[in-house]
Amino acid sequence: MSARGLGPVRSTLGWLEERAGLGGAIAPALDHPVPRSTASWWYVFGSATLALFVLQVVTGICLALVYVPSAEGAYQSLLYLNFQAPFGWFLRAVHFWGSNAMVAVMTLHMIQVFLWGAHKYPRELTWIVGVFLFLCTLGMAFTGQILRWDQDAYWGLGIGASIASRAPGVGDALVSLLLGGPIIAGRTLSRFFAVHVFLVPGILIGMIGLHIWLVLRIGINEWPMPGRVVTRETYRQRYEEEVHKDGVSFFPYAARKDMVACGVVVLAVVLCAVLFGPFGPHGVPDPTLIDTAPKPDFYFLALYALFALLPPWTETVVILVGPVLAIGALFLVPFIAGTGEKSWKRRPVAVLGVLVIVLTVTTLAGLGVAVPWSPQMEAWTAAATPVRYVKGRTPLELQGALVLQNKQCRTCHSLGGGGGRRGPALDGIATRQTRDQLIRQVLQGGGNMPAYGKNLSPAEVNALVAFMGTLRP
Amino acid sequence: MTRFITAAFAAMLALAGCDAVPGRPRPDARELAPTEVMAFETLYARNCAGCHGQTGRLGAARALNDPVYLAVAPPERVRRVIATGVPGTAQPPFALSAGGPLTDSQIDVLVRGIKDRWQRPGAVTGHQIPPYDGGRAAGGDVGRGRAVFASACARCHGDDGRGGPRGGGVADSSYLALVSDQHLRTTVIAGRSDLGMPDWRGDGGTAPLTPQQVSDVVAWLVAQRRPVPGRLP
Repeated sequence: MSARGLGPVRSTLGWLEERAGLGGAIAPALDHPVPRSTASWWYVFGSATLALFVLQVVTGICLALVYVPSAEGAYQSLLYLNFQAPFGWFLRAVHFWGSNAMVAVMTLHMIQVFLWGAHKYPRELTWIVGVFLFLCTLGMAFTGQILRWDQDAYWGLGIGASIASRAPGVGDALVSLLLGGPIIAGRTLSRFFAVHVFLVPGILIGMIGLHIWLVLRIGINEWPMPGRVVTRETYRQRYEEEVHKDGVSFFPYAARKDMVACGVVVLAVVLCAVLFGPFGPHGVPDPTLIDTAPKPDFYFLALYALFALLPPWTETVVILVGPVLAIGALFLVPFIAGTGEKSWKRRPVAVLGVLVIVLTVTTLAGLGVAVPWSPQMEAWTAAATPVRYVKGRTPLELQGALVLQNKQCRTCHSLGGGGGRRGPALDGIATRQTRDQLIRQVLQGGGNMPAYGKNLSPAEVNALVAFMGTLRP
Repeated sequence: MTRFITAAFAAMLALAGCDAVPGRPRPDARELAPTEVMAFETLYARNCAGCHGQTGRLGAARALNDPVYLAVAPPERVRRVIATGVPGTAQPPFALSAGGPLTDSQIDVLVRGIKDRWQRPGAVTGHQIPPYDGGRAAGGDVGRGRAVFASACARCHGDDGRGGPRGGGVADSSYLALVSDQHLRTTVIAGRSDLGMPDWRGDGGTAPLTPQQVSDVVAWLVAQRRPVPGRLP
């Protein structure tokens, strides 16, 4: 557009500015000087998270125009979005991938901020507000997963409610608050809709404002140099000097990288949406359909795995005390290590701590993907006996293979890779156990295995053991 | 960089309007409730493949992908076996009314699918098929049955069904306790071609069994049933 064509736009903006003065209010924030060292690609994760939040708000509003927050209508409205509404599938896909990206980029932001020592004096409050933002975003992730009203949502909610019910004294009240009654019913979804669409986003917007205000007020964390120790007496003065000596205007010098990063993450989300499409809805949320293996979205896979693997006697303690300790520790970080070295090169405990947490969470999440503890309920009719175990078998051994299917041994034991992984695979079992050992194990159980003596006739045991006796490599 | 990002955005949005975008969910990708599934392949894979084999043969249980068996077994009997199961054997009931997971129309899909896919007209032309129904009620004679076994079956299954080089024992009391009379009769008539067992016509070395011989040999097999020692459940 030519300079001449911009004339009317300029005069309109000028008219507005004269009266509202918004440009004058924002200008200092844009122009404020920042240390040159912060114009780095390492400093873009915060802005990228914000860009994703805006994307979530926009797509969320569009989805809320169609979504029906009732137990009867929700699933149908999701199907309508997926298959009928123009671009409905695309909106759902962008909102889903956007939520994944937001949790991921926010986590990167948190790790970067921690390793760069940005939680130290005088930015303790910025960190604390950031932890609130982290928790609120996870809250959005959980409630959003519930609004995708399918089997995963239904059972995920059941798990959430049963966790809440373990709280001593107030368990019932918490469940009632969460579900809008003692059970998952009509009120539940309305409640989650209100929390996901009004309550938490409202809190998030306020908190984001506060977070940014704090960053502007105290100044962005300078690039930490090993040996340059933070003390309460000298830090602020030194920061002012650095900004004064070697500062650059935030806009456009440092903001350029932020804007590119925002573009890249949003583009990545849209690319994922176009390539992989929306997630679910999976099966109908019908509590009578128990033949399902619900799974949370990736950000809760680690917790899901942890809960599955905890010894039962530790459950209540770990589930109730664990989150309090973990969240409490996050809040306490700036008070435990509020001064001193900022550079991660001189903070081995901090680096090791991050590594241990990241490795633990990814290992647990990996287990959550593989779900080796989850019984394969459909294996008995769906996982065929491998052909190599059928050929050349006697009629009795073939009957044994049928007993193995029919008594649902493969719910926990795999054969040729098909079946559950709770118990050991039965391939090659004949090389590990004798006939007598097999009979004893089947009849009496042991280890983690229940006793099947009362569920098998002598003929069935004979056939089963005869078949297992042929399972050699 | 900015221009590249803008162009990429425009391209994505344009793509999202396309029908052929990989991410766009197709209506047939909708997850159905278990009782809504009406595709034979899915129903078979979920409910039958475990025992009858992924392709309908070489499973632990009888091959269904077997034209001779399908020529012998009437569809209404196949349907009844699927729906109500065979008590005392490894065949469970699948009808909702019998505690199983399938609706009546799903069972119809299975019966029709098995027939349409695996039945071959002319599989047994030129031969009179021994009747499917039988077992003890078909008037078999145990003494004659033993002789039939010796001449037609013992070559593989060994003398008196104790097991031979090419086939396992069939007079085993545990085996006989786990199968129905009809299973024995169906197996004698239709064989297990996927596992190398010929049907009632034999493998060419002997004359086909007559209906009476089939009944006799089944009667002999049934007479071999003995209580299996061990604690009863």
